Amino acid sequence: MTETELGSQAWWEHYKETVNSDPEMKVRGHDKFDENFYIEIGDDRFLLQIDRGEIDAIVPNPAMNHQWSFGVEGDTEAWEEFVQEIPPAFNHEIIASHYRSAVKGDDGHLQLTGNNKAIFQNLRAFQRMLDLLRKAHNNGGNL
Amino acid sequence: MSTEPGTVEPITGKYVHVDVDGTDYRIYFEENGPDDGIPLLCQHTAGCNNQEWRHLLADDDITDEFRVIAYDLPFHGKSVPPTSDDWWEEDYELDAEQFAATIVGIADALDLQDPIYMGSSMGGNITLELADWYPDRFRALIGLECGAYSPGFHIDWLDHPHVNTTEVNAYSCWGLMAKQSPEQTRRETMYLYEQGATGVFKGDLYYYSVDHDYRDKLDQIDASECPLYAVNGEYDYLTDPADGRAVADGIGEGAIAVEMSDIGHFPMSEHPALFNGYLSEILADITGDREGDLPETLRPDDVDVELSPSS
Repeated sequence: MTETELGSQAWWEHYKETVNSDPEMKVRGHDKFDENFYIEIGDDRFLLQIDRGEIDAIVPNPAMNHQWSFGVEGDTEAWEEFVQEIPPAFNHEIIASHYRSAVKGDDGHLQLTGNNKAIFQNLRAFQRMLDLLRKAHNNGGNL
Repeated sequence: MSTEPGTVEPITGKYVHVDVDGTDYRIYFEENGPDDGIPLLCQHTAGCNNQEWRHLLADDDITDEFRVIAYDLPFHGKSVPPTSDDWWEEDYELDAEQFAATIVGIADALDLQDPIYMGSSMGGNITLELADWYPDRFRALIGLECGAYSPGFHIDWLDHPHVNTTEVNAYSCWGLMAKQSPEQTRRETMYLYEQGATGVFKGDLYYYSVDHDYRDKLDQIDASECPLYAVNGEYDYLTDPADGRAVADGIGEGAIAVEMSDIGHFPMSEHPALFNGYLSEILADITGDREGDLPETLRPDDVDVELSPSS
């Protein structure tokens, strides 16, 4: 995978394989993770449908027939920073990015939306899935 | 330090009784270094315990000269709650007065002469209260990840019956570390965080994000006799290096801001080799063994540490 393919169908397929073969998603109860969430890259929204810690499907442009609990939104530049092997400070993890936006008022960071209770109930598994975006993007690179 | 089978580390652990406002606290601490070494009193971060300092306690380069002492605050680690209180009838909530008085009480109970105090996160912020209220008690104050105000982290979900708080208390901190810090030590830092008692992390964060606010009080601090170092990691999103510089600028004489490159909010445990190198530069400045001023930013090259991918 290369950076130019961020958000392409092949990029998502590789990511799905990475998540579904990740040993950490199987331990400490993360296989109980069952909340759908979306990732929005610029104007493109992708719904990740989760079944017991694995990605069941990735749905572009989800609509009223779909349901989700929470999401992560950011412009393309923010996501390109996030998936770098050594990302710059404050776009290197979702709580970091959200804090910089929500509390510090900085622009250009990823932001959380949706059900905060569901986010914290599933934080570690959700966070791991986001870290695996970086691993998939760099073909097994740094988390 | 060797990790061969049979190696016994020279770190010792003991308990000391500390009086804080008439209450007896049985405080656990670990130490290493010469009895007549300069005491370096180390405070852990919110909701954690003194194990964060295990790599500093085992660093021969530092413990040859300094008597490193790392303690557990009451309710943390092996410092159980006081036996004289019905502490289970109210939520644990740390405030600035209690926090500062406990630190000074520990220094007094151990009869430390001119100790250097060092703490990270809430332990970094409290350097401002210590400098303001107890300026004569310390030789120098090192505030790691120090800020005048650090709002937004007193979060209800960190102590909620519908949430796995053991895991969430740890992984809400995952992004506070730099990705270039070794994965083993980042994971160990989270493991230490998972050992906190229910409600203690959030209770500490009452001090950290609510009670502590020195934005309009920095000019009350006179650091001309007891220098204050605000030392903040590049990847600390809560109290970034700009916050450290604002603290130093607001205090003026005696306050020094240093940015630590390529490290985050838990420097002593997330990347011990890099942090101990950075710390040696600051300690040398305190003891007068360093030629020239500290740089505005310390980098891995400055302390001969090579960053490596941590996957």
